[in-house]
Amino acid sequence: MVSRRGFLKGGGLALFGIGLMGGIPAFMAEAAASDKIVSPYKRKRVLVCIFQRGAMDGLMAVTPFTDKYLQAARPNLFMQGIDLDGKWSLHPGMKAFEPMFREGRLGIVHGIGSPNNTRSHFDAQDYMESGTPFNKGTASGWLNRAVGLLGHDAQTPFTAVSLTSALPRSFYGDHPSVAISNLQDFAIQLRGNPAAANTAAKSFEDLYDATSTGLLHETGKESFDAMKMLQKADLKNYRPAAGAVYPFSPLGNSLRQVAQLIKMDVGLEVAFTESNGWDTHFNQGTDNGIFARNVADLSNSITAFWKDLEGYQDDVTVMTMTEFGRTVHQNGTGGTDHGRASCNFILGNNVAGGKVYGSVGELAVENLEDRRDLPVTTDFRSVFSAVADAHLKISDDKALFPEWSGNKAEVMKA
Amino acid sequence: MCLSNPRVGRPICMKIMIVVLSLAFVGGSVGVRFPYRQAGLTERQAAAHLLSRFTYGAGPGDVDAVVKMGLEKWFMQQLDGNLPDDSLNQVLSRYDALKLSNEEVVKTFPKGGQLIRMAIRDGVVSKDSVKVDRKEYRDALQTYRQEKGYKPEQELFRQFICQKILRAAYSQNQLREVLTDFWFNHFNVSITKNDCAQFIPAYERDVIRPSALSNFSELLLKTAKSPAMSFYLDNFLSGGKGLNENYAREVMELHTMGVDGGYTQQDVTQAAKVLTGWGVYPMRDQGRGIVEKFSDEQLARRGFVHEGDFFFNANRHDGEEKKVLGHTFAAGGGYTEGVQLLEMLAHHPSTAAFITKKLAVRFVSDNPPQSLLDKMAKTFRDKNGDIKQVLITMVESPEFWSEGAVREKTKSPFELAIGAVRSLHGTIYQPYQLYSWVTRMGEKKYFYQAPTGFPDKGSYWINTGSLLNRMNFGLALASGRIPGISIDLAALNNGHEPESSEAALTTYGKIILPERNLDATIKRLTPMLNDPTLAKKVDEASSKTATEKGEAVMTAEATGNPMLAQVVGIIIGSPEYQRR
Repeated sequence: MVSRRGFLKGGGLALFGIGLMGGIPAFMAEAAASDKIVSPYKRKRVLVCIFQRGAMDGLMAVTPFTDKYLQAARPNLFMQGIDLDGKWSLHPGMKAFEPMFREGRLGIVHGIGSPNNTRSHFDAQDYMESGTPFNKGTASGWLNRAVGLLGHDAQTPFTAVSLTSALPRSFYGDHPSVAISNLQDFAIQLRGNPAAANTAAKSFEDLYDATSTGLLHETGKESFDAMKMLQKADLKNYRPAAGAVYPFSPLGNSLRQVAQLIKMDVGLEVAFTESNGWDTHFNQGTDNGIFARNVADLSNSITAFWKDLEGYQDDVTVMTMTEFGRTVHQNGTGGTDHGRASCNFILGNNVAGGKVYGSVGELAVENLEDRRDLPVTTDFRSVFSAVADAHLKISDDKALFPEWSGNKAEVMKA
Repeated sequence: MCLSNPRVGRPICMKIMIVVLSLAFVGGSVGVRFPYRQAGLTERQAAAHLLSRFTYGAGPGDVDAVVKMGLEKWFMQQLDGNLPDDSLNQVLSRYDALKLSNEEVVKTFPKGGQLIRMAIRDGVVSKDSVKVDRKEYRDALQTYRQEKGYKPEQELFRQFICQKILRAAYSQNQLREVLTDFWFNHFNVSITKNDCAQFIPAYERDVIRPSALSNFSELLLKTAKSPAMSFYLDNFLSGGKGLNENYAREVMELHTMGVDGGYTQQDVTQAAKVLTGWGVYPMRDQGRGIVEKFSDEQLARRGFVHEGDFFFNANRHDGEEKKVLGHTFAAGGGYTEGVQLLEMLAHHPSTAAFITKKLAVRFVSDNPPQSLLDKMAKTFRDKNGDIKQVLITMVESPEFWSEGAVREKTKSPFELAIGAVRSLHGTIYQPYQLYSWVTRMGEKKYFYQAPTGFPDKGSYWINTGSLLNRMNFGLALASGRIPGISIDLAALNNGHEPESSEAALTTYGKIILPERNLDATIKRLTPMLNDPTLAKKVDEASSKTATEKGEAVMTAEATGNPMLAQVVGIIIGSPEYQRR
């Protein structure tokens, strides 16, 4: 375990944005004091990962609309969306992404996937999240390893936060990381009896302060510090900046909370959340239907998040991922089945955006993997490692992705 | 101990049954001696330690009962694990899905995608129903499901999870339950993997629980042949043209020898070849392939094996010679070479070291001393992986009773939740409510995705995301605010309500945390809880909201005395109660 345990006494550092809280929690002072960042006023860089569970049909999200083979393979599903560059079009449900693409902040990688050709959701997600596509027994997740490679020892309770009810596979491992489904739950609560909750909170704080068990003592202190900080931040009455409106959806709700954590400057560096419902075997739809609703939620949530981060955008990169893509041919039930490559989205001011990366040839049957699927031409690890390197300064690829020795994708600005 | 009778919603109380008859047992309890006095523990402290290690927590009176029976005898009885559980079984009998065989489960609980496919095939819903009303579509599917007598898969998992909670809370055979949990986690499978999810209830019921106290190689062989494991680690795929190494790798790395156990990638590949053809007997009506064409006898003559759900498909087996860990498997070994391989792994010295360490971490401390590990590993090797014998060696060692072991484990969220119900003699009417809390505290049982299982160490369970929820759980439980969990705090003290917070702390501290020194805790908390203005506020707030919101009050006794509920809630959320 990284030595977040053991607190410095009175950090004495003024922290950016701490004004609204009155006092500096010990974990913040410690983190700031031991940081290798030159300027103590410089904020943390944050990587936000969104896992699209169920396998997004990359060919419908970002369509090679001039491809006649695709058109033939999908008589009911083929469509041209918003023309990006004469070859690729964006699904109209994602029109919110267009301006960011044009501005060069949003990059797309097509043909991305895993070298392991499993078409099992479970296995492919497991491999993508552990970052070791040929080894099930890897105990840690790649984002947990990333936390260990951040280059500074002291961390706060909010260094790695997953906005999910259970810890995702990406976060498994020895480095501190937490799953919180709702920040407002971060309090001592007794439904219908706030006075009792208050006394209890004081009692608990005192007991945990006095305990001789190191782990309980230190985690107790961090928990109460964090609780007070969140209380002062008045989460309930949060108003997003720049008139951003988050979709009323689990993803929108999660990203809103990520934005809150970022603005509170509590040391968040790796955030994770997920989006569900991408397993479109049936009735996938075209410009409306299941898929259209999903991409609208995805893009509107991310766009609202980005808008809300006005003033913080330089610190944040968002990356989506999905376990595999779907068959080039539509199936007999108005949908698509499990395939191989898909596409992903990377948003940030240091992204070399405005471009669809990757190598995607004509979708003639003989060019397809197993004569059915968009072949994987970009290993997901080459993209993940490029983003981790450019944004979080994690350059130890061997530690981040053991078993991998490829080149990083050139999706980030040099 | 109290059990709920769900139908009449009235608790049936049952005295702890102490079977004084000495049950037949390997070697008997004669001669087994626990060296706790040398470690400076009294008999009562030793009993409390035993209960903290081999049960889901001591209920009121349990320490007395164990002392009365004799510590060694109690332990041997738990090792036998055959005490009658009639009341529990009666409650469990309502979970009809848990009696089904795997094949019946497959037929009764079609997965979401399968159901839609069948509905489309039967013309109930159109395949182009994107534009139609979504509610209508869902309703049509729902009606179809009911007409066909199919049930949603979630119902299976709900029942399964409920039985887990009830067994942990109320089984007389506590050690069997604790070990069932341990071995399940060791041979982890996960509901998150759709392919294996439906087979998990039978996996625990037929593979793990009956063998939890037997012998390691039996567990290993049974898990290897189970549909849950075969689907979870993909061995059912392995054979014919494609070799899948997942199971072969994990069976060495995680189930037997450990990652540093001394095997190579070559061993993994060769072991995978040995296990080709091991899979699941076709269960669905359609596409049963070879088993439709030939009888079991005909297949057996060709080297196929059909045993319950297990199926060895000789056609998919790699018949060539293999070499694993220096041992040569001659060509044409068929099914038996897989059995030999697993036996070999079960008896490997690395396995003895790996498994006994895991047991010591579970039952002694997060960092068990090497001297203890050596003794346990020796017993494992000498006694052919006999689980009971290994545990006896452990409990007969001074290290088990040492300062470095007593109260050194951190309760997992599940242990905390079940232990708290047991501490308070609670009655569980709605087990799933407890599951939600356990999940919120960081342990989503049966959903741990990786084959490693949940890490068994305090630093995994205690983090800022979960610690406040532990405290909230204590408060919610004690104040009767977890729906479907009923407690009667006054009854724990023979109907007497303590007169002050200090008295409540002393009295209930002893009941909930038997044989612990709580002087410091009481001294710290008393001034805070004795603040008269606070007491008044707490009472007022409690009665006000209860009437204003008209909330269902679960137990009059619990909410009848908010101050007492608060004291008990604080004890359960306290650092001391997080340890065992």
